[in-house]
Amino acid sequence: MNINISQGQGRVPVTILGIQGDLDASNYTELIAKTQELCNTGMRYLLLDMTNVPYMSSAGLVALHNIALLMRGDKLTDPQSGWPALHAVAGEEKRLQTYIKLLNPQPKVSRTLEISGMVEFFEIYTDLDSAIASF
Amino acid sequence: MGTASFTAELENLVLIRRFVEKTAQSLQADQAAIDDVIQAVDEVATNIIVHGYAGKPGIIDVEVKREGASLIVHLLDQAPQFDPTTVPPPDLTLPLEKRQPGGLGIHLIREYMDQVRYIAMPQVGNKLTLGKKAF
Repeated sequence: MNINISQGQGRVPVTILGIQGDLDASNYTELIAKTQELCNTGMRYLLLDMTNVPYMSSAGLVALHNIALLMRGDKLTDPQSGWPALHAVAGEEKRLQTYIKLLNPQPKVSRTLEISGMVEFFEIYTDLDSAIASF
Repeated sequence: MGTASFTAELENLVLIRRFVEKTAQSLQADQAAIDDVIQAVDEVATNIIVHGYAGKPGIIDVEVKREGASLIVHLLDQAPQFDPTTVPPPDLTLPLEKRQPGGLGIHLIREYMDQVRYIAMPQVGNKLTLGKKAF
């Protein structure tokens, strides 16, 4: 998995993390760590570009949750915490959508987001400009 | 039919996914079903590596074959015995602190598969069978 970082400017500056490659248990902590690093340097609004993520396991779902917490300045959950982590997201849906949004998840990834119920917790866009303008 | 053995390391998850995909494609299984089986196999293998062997060295044997109209995958390990089919489905009505942790991958496995069967091996280890209509 590679992570490309770029910037977009809507009403607010938006950091765009372009993930390339499968997101699974072998690398999801790298994504969390990269987000942590960016938060520490002042990132406030994050668009996760999933255009080039052909596959995501449940580890990726846990990463999404942890990143959402990071964007709010909350403490991370145990990466193995699974459902409790996801349902913590469920209870805080509206706040999460303010700081992190998803761009263009591919069919298999979308299916995982849907089956896990995560699709309801994040705003999802298929167009970069619209996504940036939404923040 | 195809069989392969993998050392229980998270870096091998991608190799396990590729093996399952190539073998299933050689059997001419339906691609959408293959995708679902890959997702379930990945979740099972992740649980074996993270929770079963828990950092200790080990082997995961994977067998992919056709049985009637179903694509079948057997996963065998020598980790402490654990039956994932006994993990209760997440109860969304419970308060957060009372929910069962770690059930996310197993939830996805159940959602993606038509059959999930567990056998505790006579001496040590586990055999999990996943099945999906694919022909």
